[in-house]
Parts: sequence; structure tokens; C-alpha cells
Amino acid sequence: MQALAIAWRHRELLWNLAGRDLKGRYKDSMLGLLWTILAPLFMAGIYIFFLRLLGGRGLQIGMADIIIGVFAWQFTVQCVTSGLNAFTGNANLVKKVYLPRLLLPTSVVLSALVNFLLMLVVQLPLIAFLLWRQHEMLSVWTLALPVVIVYHTFFNLLLALTVSAANVYFRDTQHLVGLGLSAWFFVSPVMYPLSFVHDLAQRWPWLESLYQLNPLTVIITAYRTLQTGAPLVLTPAALVGWLWPLAAAVLVFYAFDRAQRNFADVL
Amino acid sequence: MIAIEAQNLGKRYRKAGVGAPTLREALKHTFRRKPMEDFWAVRGLNFAIEPGRTIGVIGPNGSGKSSLLGLLAGTITPTEGSVRVAGRISSLLELGAGFHPDLSGRENVFLNAAILGIPQEDVRRRFDAIVDFAGLREFIDMPVKHYSSGMYVRLAFAVAVEMNPDVLLVDEVLAVGDTAFQMKCLDRIRDFKRRGKTILLVSHALETVEQFCDEVILIHKGALIQRGPPSEVIFNYLKSYMVRIGLLNVEEHGTREVEIRAVRLLDAAGHETVVFTTGQPMVIEVHYHANHRIEKPVFGFNLKTGNGIYVFGSNTQIAKIPLETIAGDGVMRLTIHPLTLMAGRFFLSLAIHSWDHSVQYHRQEDLHPFMVKDDSQHKGLLHLDTAWEHRPAL
Repeated sequence: MQALAIAWRHRELLWNLAGRDLKGRYKDSMLGLLWTILAPLFMAGIYIFFLRLLGGRGLQIGMADIIIGVFAWQFTVQCVTSGLNAFTGNANLVKKVYLPRLLLPTSVVLSALVNFLLMLVVQLPLIAFLLWRQHEMLSVWTLALPVVIVYHTFFNLLLALTVSAANVYFRDTQHLVGLGLSAWFFVSPVMYPLSFVHDLAQRWPWLESLYQLNPLTVIITAYRTLQTGAPLVLTPAALVGWLWPLAAAVLVFYAFDRAQRNFADVL
Repeated sequence: MIAIEAQNLGKRYRKAGVGAPTLREALKHTFRRKPMEDFWAVRGLNFAIEPGRTIGVIGPNGSGKSSLLGLLAGTITPTEGSVRVAGRISSLLELGAGFHPDLSGRENVFLNAAILGIPQEDVRRRFDAIVDFAGLREFIDMPVKHYSSGMYVRLAFAVAVEMNPDVLLVDEVLAVGDTAFQMKCLDRIRDFKRRGKTILLVSHALETVEQFCDEVILIHKGALIQRGPPSEVIFNYLKSYMVRIGLLNVEEHGTREVEIRAVRLLDAAGHETVVFTTGQPMVIEVHYHANHRIEKPVFGFNLKTGNGIYVFGSNTQIAKIPLETIAGDGVMRLTIHPLTLMAGRFFLSLAIHSWDHSVQYHRQEDLHPFMVKDDSQHKGLLHLDTAWEHRPAL
């Protein structure tokens, strides 16, 4: 709560920092902001192509599912990777000027959010088109997307706070995070729908529960449910998957506050 | 009302913790029970500063000045004790912190202003004034990575002075830029002072400190050594620290048949000071005591720069002012007028010896530091009277 108050009080600065991030990223590139959309679209294209190629004709891979999954995954990845350097890349701002340290990772998440919203502007018509080809329609529940986006953003903020602070103290973090992300990509339903792990779940139910504890699993599935009407997971494990980040938030904010006190000493 | 208050303020650093941290080292330290080596950058500081005062902070390198500013600015968290600042605090610690090289000057003005806590509304209103102050009108839409370092700093400073804090921290800002720009900086800081802001000025430019501050704090090894009127503290600093850290070899020797009891450095008005002005007189009074009658003593002096260059030396013998005898107390007065030394730090040596140099009665080598300030923009060690004459070809 206090963190929210700080962020609100410094909203001008937050926008400026996020703006710096966004403008800086695409300055001097010809396609500029278009890359925001092109890159994940291209990635989705690759996954769809190879899954079709490898999986053969029998495999039911919804293009809509992959696009939704990849776009949402991109949002998280961007928050984590730019979050890593929120402090280590801005040592000057940490050591020389006093601003609430919370603002730096928050601004990173904010700029990623802007990117994600731009991606959604492209994503929604695209999904609608794909559904229309199968004589279906975008679900009315799409209107409830902002709820999931807010939760997803909050979750990403927790990740950004954690990795940004950890990287100040241990530069190993950036390497560990790189490995962690590639593992996480496969254990989250990014380039496949939840039904993909169905067989596995039948054999080892406890593994399915573990799988659903992953907040990204429930977040991505929620995005899909709201847009295409795919079935929602409503198991106790999934519920825990939704709730535990909220509980962890208390710990993250507390630990972050403790950690940030000595940033200037180690940077 | 107190603007800044420090109570038992201390900051400890771990020697081992300095440098790029890695997980491996952290684990190593966890498992090894050997305590890490600590050092205190600042410890046991107690002071209170009333609002509206301009306080200079001086001390040798590594004495904890920057740590103190960091603690006040809030970028460093104290290990023990506390620091309280009343009102809004801003610092001119690092100009252009947060500038993004790829963004234009215009964008960076707004970004930097936001970082410094200046409302965007104010920046929009004052934008033209900021750009004019920096003198960058035609370059304002160019990415700052193409700026020269001077342009960069000028723009950063122009933004920074738009701050309206209650307490202003200044750290060696005056060391950047050319002379004209430094004058501009000083003007702005004077402006803050006029508006009744509390200013904390850290600088090695002792002339500036002397000129600006109401009071000076001397810090050494993280402890407050002295606080008082500028000339007094600066004199003490120059004398005990510059010399003790080995910049010059202070020596005092001699038979003490004639003893130098006191030395007073006086300005034109006859006030004791350690800061003199180029072109103005400088008076040195040597108060001596001769234990017995001394025949034909010679009084001598020499001046050296802060880094040991011998500038000038003379004595009563060379100057052909023969003294017959001295006994008991007396004062020898030496007037240098005009003082042709340019701005800088100097050391005065004094000696009293026999006419044939066979006996040194009392010699004080480099024992008396002083500073010279110069209001002109001439450069160099000595002032030369010059005249220009131009004859255009017809």
C-alpha cells in the first residue's frame, strides 16, 4: 500500500523514466515502435510453424492460443530482463540522487506494460480474425481482460523488484535468471495449450497440481479463457497459484525495502 | 528551528564488500567465520545547522565528506545514529545523472527535472529560460550523446538550478566547466543564498569556501575536528593537514637564541587572515624574543607554492637593511605590496640567523600556509603588469 502511495506521488517521474526507457529503446531504429509488435508476432509464427511441422497433422494447436501465450510471456520476460538492470544500469541515479528506489523497477514494468498494451491492440483483432475463420467470435469476456492485466502487471512487478535487487548484490543473478527463464518457458503453457499436458496430468496428478501453482500457468490460461472461451482451470491448486503471489508480495516489498538501503554501498 | 541535524551519525563499510559482488564470495563469507574488516567512513558526527546558513565542509581526500553528503541526501543509509533534514533537500552532486544519451536535449531536460523533483509544469513554463541559461538554443533537439562535455554539464546545471529546495547540497560542482561557467554557477549559488536557503558546500577550492560560507566544518577520518569561522578553520586545516599528509616538510629548528614567538599575517585593513588578494598588500609580522643580545641578526623569508615550487626569497641582508643588535621582545614587519602572486595555496617560511649564516637562531620551514585569491581571469602563478598595443597595417 505504501509502495502504491509512493508510486502515485512520483507519477510524473515514473512516466518520464518509462518514457526514457521506451524512447531510448527504439531511437535510431527504422521501424521503431513497430518492433514491439513484430518481434513477438514473428516468434509466435516460428512456434506455430515448427509445432505443425514436428507435431504432424493430427496435433491440434490453436494459432490463437499460441499468439496469446507468446504475447503474455513476452510481457513477463521484458519485465524480468529489463528489471535485472534497473539498478545496475542506473548506478548514477542510485548513488547521486535521492529518489525512492522502488521507482526504478516500477518504471521498467510500466514501460513493458505500455508495450504489452500496444501488443494487445494488434492481438485482439488478430484473435478475432482467427476465430472468425473457425466461425467463432471473440468472447464477451474479453472485456474482463483488464482485471487479468492488472494482476499480471502486479506479478511482474514482484519479479522485477526481486531480480533487480538481487542483481545488485549478486551479479550471478543475471545468469541464473537467464537459465530460469528458459526452464520457465517450457513449464508454462506458452507455446502450447493446457490440454497439451493432459496425458501427463492423468498419470501424475500431483505433477498437475504443481504445474498449476505456477502463476503464469493460470494467468496465460485466463487470457485464453477470456478471449477464446477455452475452459478455465478451477482446481484448488490453480486457486493457490492465483493467491500465493499476493501473499508473497508482502515479503517481497519488505525484503526489497531492507535490501535497497545499502544499494549505494555496493553499486 | 534546525535545518539539518545529525546525531551520532555513522556509516560503516565492509572492506570485503567493495567491488563486484558475486554469489560465490557471499557463500564463502557465510561459511567462513572470520569477521570481515570494517572501516567507518563517518562516525560519531553530531551537529545542527540553522536554516539560512551556508556551511562549508572541508577535509583531505577520503575524510568522509562525500559520505556525509550522501547520508544527508538520503542515498546512503546510516549504520548508526540518525540524520534529520527539515524541508525539501536537493543536491548538485552529480550533474546530468539520468541523462539518456540517445534522447534529445529537450527530452532530457524534462527527464532530469523529473528526477530532481521539479514539477513538469514549472519546467514547461521555464523551458526557454533553461535553454538560454545553458546557451544551447540551436542544439536543444539534438541527442545529448553528440554534445561536448561542456554542453552536457551546462544543460544539466541549467536544469538543476531550477530546483527550489530548502536545503541545497553542493559537491565540487565548481570544479567543472571553464571560468566563465564557474562564475555563472557561483552566481546561482549566491542567489540560493540570498533567498535564505540552507547550503552545504563541499569543496577543495578553499578560496571559494572562505568567500561563501558563514561557517566551516573540518572533517578528518570521518570525525568532526573543528567547526567555526571560515578563515580560522581553513587556516587550521592548511596548517595541520596539508602539511601532515606530507605535501610539504614542515620543519622548525635552530638554537632558539632568538625565538619566533608569534607570526601574524595581515591584510590591507590590518586584520589577521589567511586569504590574500592579488594586487593588495600582504603584511607579515614576526614577533620575536631574543634571550640575549644578538649582534647583526638577519631576518629572512621565502614563499613556496602548495606543491613546493620556490617562488621568492629574500632577507634583510640582501635587501640591505642592516640590523645592529636586538635584545628582548620585538616585532619585525614585512610588507609585500602589491602581492603579485596569483590564486593558489602558498607556504611561508621564516628564519632568523646570524649575519654569516653560521648560526640558525630559529627557522620555520613552510610553517605558515596562506591562500591567494584573484578576482581577474588571468592565469598562472605570478601577476605580470602587461600592456597591449596594436598597430594595424595601413
